[in-house]
This record gives sequence, structure tokens and C-alpha cells, in this order.
Amino acid sequence: MQERLYDLIFICRPATPEEEVNKIVATLEHSAGEHGGKVDKVERWGTRRLAYRVSKHREGFYVYLVVRGTQSDMIKELERRLKVADPVIKYQTIRLDEELKRQAKLARHRERRAGRRPRKAAPTAPALPGAEQAAPAN
Amino acid sequence: MPDQPKQDPPAEAEAPPAPAAPRAEGHSGGGPPRREGGPGGVPRREGGPGGPGGPRRGKRQFFRKKKVCRFCVEHVDFIDYKKADMLQPFVQDRGKILPRRMTGTCSRHQRWLGEAIKRARNIALLPFATEL
Repeated sequence: MQERLYDLIFICRPATPEEEVNKIVATLEHSAGEHGGKVDKVERWGTRRLAYRVSKHREGFYVYLVVRGTQSDMIKELERRLKVADPVIKYQTIRLDEELKRQAKLARHRERRAGRRPRKAAPTAPALPGAEQAAPAN
Repeated sequence: MPDQPKQDPPAEAEAPPAPAAPRAEGHSGGGPPRREGGPGGVPRREGGPGGPGGPRRGKRQFFRKKKVCRFCVEHVDFIDYKKADMLQPFVQDRGKILPRRMTGTCSRHQRWLGEAIKRARNIALLPFATEL
């Protein structure tokens, strides 16, 4: 299976001590490794205000991870761990690779079009006065 | 706002009798439809070619800037759900997603935007509904 990329965000209770959070991140890294995956990036956004109440909390400590892996079990396991972890009040995993693929495709497409435009303007120039003006500008 | 699609066809139907005036109307975008409101269809057909339509049109005319998709201008290929403050202008005060007709977003970007907003909501970056 092709490698997949995921965004994983989890929110801890605001009162969680730093070591607890580190411990959770470490277990996630460990179980990702067990399933042939890898945690690419760990970002601690710190305590932020939640947009709505989650388990009676108005604030939460956000942690953002980028995970890559080939086995779909990996995400299942990571989410199970987050569900079990006491300080975690919310988590979300989003698969990113397809969107990145789409993004790359669009960028490539645009590049190609930008490269083609001047060549295309030249032959149509006599027919369209508007194009004639555009051609020298390019 | 729901009468906008209803109003557009009459404007086109009007075009043959008086080509100059309806064209000006077309430039002002969605302006004229609002004037007619619900009962608009019949009076408009009378007013279009004749004299009384002219002054009325002049009085109520207002310009609406042509809305351009903000994401297309900046060549955005991916709308990041993590940047909640970037999504904020596309959400009403109460947390509703603003329609395309208000923001001018193109259909493709609106689709991505909706997805991003929903993701942001799920992880409590944006509200589902503001509580009072």
C-alpha cells in the first residue's frame, strides 16, 4: 500500500502537566513505529480557547502531529490510545496525502499553463486585437 | 436574495425592445432585482421600454462591485482548516458558513472552504453555533 500522510490533532485538559502530554506523544510515537509508521512532526500549540465547551472545558491544550504510515491499523491504534488516555478530551485525524496530491497536480497544471500562454498568444494575435496587446506585455 | 435567479430571466427578456437600458441594468449586477421584489414581473415589463422605467431606474441604481473569488486571486490550492482566523471571515457571527453569493467565492473554493470549516469545527477551532 502506498504511504499515507495524516494530520492528527488532540486536545488535552488545560490542567494537564507537561510530562503527561509528553508521555502521550511518546506512546503515540511508539505505537506508530510498531505499525511501520512514523511521526514526522510534533507541534504544541499550547492552551487555546475552545470554540465550544468540550467535556465542560472552555480551554484546551492543543497538540498537532503529522503522521505517515502504510498500514491502516496504525490510525486505529493511535485513535484507540487517544480514546483511552485520560487527559485527552478530543482528537481528530485527517488524511492529507490525497489533498496534497491534488494540490501538487493543480500547481503543475498552472505552471504548464503559464508556460504555454505566450506561445499561444502569438498565432492568435492577428485575429484578436486584444491578444495583440497582451503579447508584448508578456 | 432567493428572488435573484427568478429575476434574471426577465432582464434578458427585456433586452430586445430596449437594448441600451437593460444593458446598463446588467452592469449594476444584482441591484435592480431587489427593487422589484416579489410582485416585480409585470410592472417591470411595462417600465422597461417606456418612459416611467427610466427615472426609477436612475434613482434606485447602485453599483455592486464584481465579487472575485479571494482564493482564486491568490491561487490557493489547499484551504488549511488549522488556520481558524483565516476561515473566520467566511463564517457568520453565529457560526454559519457564509453563502457564495455573499463572499464571491467560486464554487470549487467554496467546496473546499466548507470542508475546511467543518474540520475546524470538529476540533473546536470554530464554533458549530455560538452559545449565548
